[in-house]
Amino acid sequence: MKTSKVVSLKEAIQEVRDGDVILTGGIVENRRPVAASMEMVRQKKKNLVLIGTCSLSDDILVGGGCVEAYRGCYTSNGAFGISPNMKRRTEEGTIITDEIGHIDYCLGLMAGQAGLPFVASKTDIGTDVLNPAYDNLSKTAEVARDKTMLPNKKYVLMEDPFFGMGTIQLLPAIKLDVCICHVQMAGEEGTVRIDGSLTFDHLGALCAKKVIITAEQIVPESYIRQDPNRNCIPCTSVDMVVEVPWGAHPGQVYNCYDMDIPFLQEYAKMCATQEGFDKWAAQWIFNQNGHWDYLDKLGVSRLEKLRALPPYGYVPRNKGGVK
Amino acid sequence: MTKEYAKIGEYSAVEAMVCHSARFLANFDGKKGLIGTGLPLVASQLAKKLYSPNMIIFIETGQADANPQELAISIMDSRLTYGSSWQMGDPEGLYPLSRNEIDFGFIGGAQIDKYGNVNSTFIGGDYNKPAKRLAGTAGAVDIGVFAKTTVILMAHQKRRVCEFVDYLTTPGWMVKKWPEGTLVRREELGLQGGPSCFISSMGICKFNDDDKVMYLDKYFPGITLEQIKENTGFDIDVSRADEADHILVDEIRLLREEIDPLNIYKMR
Repeated sequence: MKTSKVVSLKEAIQEVRDGDVILTGGIVENRRPVAASMEMVRQKKKNLVLIGTCSLSDDILVGGGCVEAYRGCYTSNGAFGISPNMKRRTEEGTIITDEIGHIDYCLGLMAGQAGLPFVASKTDIGTDVLNPAYDNLSKTAEVARDKTMLPNKKYVLMEDPFFGMGTIQLLPAIKLDVCICHVQMAGEEGTVRIDGSLTFDHLGALCAKKVIITAEQIVPESYIRQDPNRNCIPCTSVDMVVEVPWGAHPGQVYNCYDMDIPFLQEYAKMCATQEGFDKWAAQWIFNQNGHWDYLDKLGVSRLEKLRALPPYGYVPRNKGGVK
Repeated sequence: MTKEYAKIGEYSAVEAMVCHSARFLANFDGKKGLIGTGLPLVASQLAKKLYSPNMIIFIETGQADANPQELAISIMDSRLTYGSSWQMGDPEGLYPLSRNEIDFGFIGGAQIDKYGNVNSTFIGGDYNKPAKRLAGTAGAVDIGVFAKTTVILMAHQKRRVCEFVDYLTTPGWMVKKWPEGTLVRREELGLQGGPSCFISSMGICKFNDDDKVMYLDKYFPGITLEQIKENTGFDIDVSRADEADHILVDEIRLLREEIDPLNIYKMR
């Protein structure tokens, strides 16, 4: 491969279609594609089916009216409380939710990555994840543009035929229209290097029809190929690469910057109501002509205080870190 | 460490809960634990300093033998990465559970019932329009299914410590057999483990060997049995309980000065 896949954020996000089944990389407030989410809100995406977790970057999509259904295992912003937009819309009954377990999510992606139709596990045995009254999978499929992206059953129970482990569940593969990951480094042809937790990105990118990478830094492909063992997603699975420095702010990126706690606290407070989110979005999404304006508004001194210190990969408290 | 006791009133109920949890983790020195987000992270930090220096911490976002230099703010905080033996992703972080490697899981939650089932998904109303939406399953399901035992930490309030959870996220001793949802003992479904202990802001609860119902094992200094009965949503057996050891000045000092000086976890 010798083609550059570098595009603008606007161009990349134009490839996301209404009703797509989507996963965004990272988890909670670490390595989340926030700039990409903001661009999706700007482009007024609709009817997305969110897979996996709903924290910072996903919650912005929920507040922005881009998401109608969620199928996943975690709806919290960690120490900053339950993801405020998701919480509000769930409590209003205006978003479809379908719980799966955390290992379910990993195994579903693993099946997708391997091209398998399903895998077997004991993950949710005994719990309400298997409660038929809470099974919203078919409602979720109604939202999707391509209904065949969702399985026609949530699970099948059977007795373990091989090792006598008792009741087990068959779990369908997870299929994705789009996977968007924010990473530390990408080559111009799409090879990805991640520092810190890989979360689900190394699986999600292999399950998706379309993969968009936003990176803190784009480097020559020849540079990133000097040490292929350190790379986490192959260029062959990536469709578009966008350079978006500070693209996960107000979250953190290991080895790059720490989280902006006052910003996250303000987000949690403002997004308790839709009017509050709209006000927040007017200030941080719609009043900006894209990501560079957003960074200008934040200002150099605010961002520099967040810059990670080696060898920690974050800003330790005793070295001026998070307050 | 000096054995100087802190006076009642000089520490909060949450701090007491975290200190007693850290002491309980002494049972797991040298063992492997999968630690959940929130106060379990705090208590495990205190335990590492005082009671179980050789405890091996796994985190569900893929850190093996995590040794954070300072308290993590979330379950994938960069603080968990630096100093760990191995940093992969969530699958690699969770599969030690399903491989049966994890000796204990340590979680919080919003509701616990008399069988030790924990709810971290929703409270009140209906699943599709809950009164209060919570964080969801995350690792809480997987820890309850696969860990050799679980330790649960939660504030002791009537609405939290209840007859039966609104949503069964983490399986305790009596769980649901689908498709009917019949209540059965966990071993009937081939689940190993089960909760060993619920540490609340008022005392420590364990489970009867025969019917697996929760009873009070210890009450914290300054708390009466009457207060515990009033704050429990079912008729809890307190007849076997005795008083727990007093909180140490050193425990509180470590929590406040070294572990969470910024009060990120709002313990005080």
